[in-house]
Amino acid sequence: MSINFKHIEDKLKTEAKKLLEQGKVSIVLAYGKGYDDHHPMPYVARNAADVGNIVFNEFCTANLARYLVRYPRGTKIAIAVKAADSRAVIQLIQEDKIKRENLVVLGIPVSGMKNSKTGEIIDSKTTCGLYNPVLYDILLGKEVHGKSVISPYDVLAEYEKMDKDARWDFWKKELDKCIRCYACRKACPMCYCDPCFIDQNKPKWGEKSPESHGNLMYHLTRFHHLAGRCIDCGECSRACPVNIPLYLFHKKVAKECEEMFGQVAGMKIEDKPTLVNFRVEDSDKILE
Amino acid sequence: MEFEPKILGIACNWCTYTGADLAGTTRLSYPQNLRVVRVMCSSRINPSFIFRAFQLGADGVLVGGCHPGDCHYNTGNLYARRRLAVTKKILEFAGIEPERFRVEWISASEGNKFAEVVREFTEQVRNLGPQTKFKIEREPMPEKI
Repeated sequence: MSINFKHIEDKLKTEAKKLLEQGKVSIVLAYGKGYDDHHPMPYVARNAADVGNIVFNEFCTANLARYLVRYPRGTKIAIAVKAADSRAVIQLIQEDKIKRENLVVLGIPVSGMKNSKTGEIIDSKTTCGLYNPVLYDILLGKEVHGKSVISPYDVLAEYEKMDKDARWDFWKKELDKCIRCYACRKACPMCYCDPCFIDQNKPKWGEKSPESHGNLMYHLTRFHHLAGRCIDCGECSRACPVNIPLYLFHKKVAKECEEMFGQVAGMKIEDKPTLVNFRVEDSDKILE
Repeated sequence: MEFEPKILGIACNWCTYTGADLAGTTRLSYPQNLRVVRVMCSSRINPSFIFRAFQLGADGVLVGGCHPGDCHYNTGNLYARRRLAVTKKILEFAGIEPERFRVEWISASEGNKFAEVVREFTEQVRNLGPQTKFKIEREPMPEKI
């Protein structure tokens, strides 16, 4: 199940060049060279000459769906997506932030991506653990048929078992580390509010300085805002400079939403996001 | 001195608030620990209200709305139900006692139920003791020189 990254990069370049030359899209969102091979950066190719700068290797973890909402509506965009990123694209389409017809989705089936900070292989412990994009127009490479993925929620069991005071101590310790750089917000494809609730002064929802209560308010509310929308790419935890395991809480909320409402975020274009939807037959038991 | 919990009640204008009014006019007694805030609909409640209430020193939060299907705006409380269910799960996973947060459907004619729920909830929160995890401890005011 080894992935030929060079092969994918070549295909990405050819497809990007073709699309730009034919004028089907005005920009291609892909990865470009960073300051070294371990730190590729998001890259926007605007014409066929830019295409040579596109790279793809095992450290290209960033979720490019983040950049879709930055362009004016109606911009024709081609985007390179991995498995979780394609779910982000679907979720953004559900939320009517982008239109399907303005997109060309270049799907990349891939496994064994690596965290550029630690060099660890990224698996379903921190992400949704899918290999193949859910939505694509052009698939670059062959679908990955690896060994079946363990449930992305397995990692939660250890924390669910904890006593509530122990869990509080754990989260307090983790969230106290936060320096409020908002890298999690910047990396998240679903965090597109302008202004973010924490930047508002009237009403002031929480303290803005990096202290315990403000951090708690910011993170808990952020978890709530991403309930039923988080597509579990794990990018927030990778972006975090102080290594807060934000993915754990997002996974927990996603799991509860799946159990209560029977819908997984970012799997079908026709779905509505869970929290802006309801069923009359939802049980009152969910409130207990 | 016995611990007296502070409880924030957020009540929907059309059902629970009117229900509370009925409890008053029928002279039912219920604990004075509840401070009621009126909102136009239970779906008006931003989850941050609840987190903020706990930070500012509430020991418990009680949310009241119309019975599902009876909402003045037809579907408001059906959205609220999903949203507040998630709030509860988040409080629970963060390590706060989920018993400190309660959602009840109380209609305008259920003054009795309102008094009963407040009585029961106050007792429940009293048994849990003061809420200290979220609460922002302010420095005491300096004495006048």
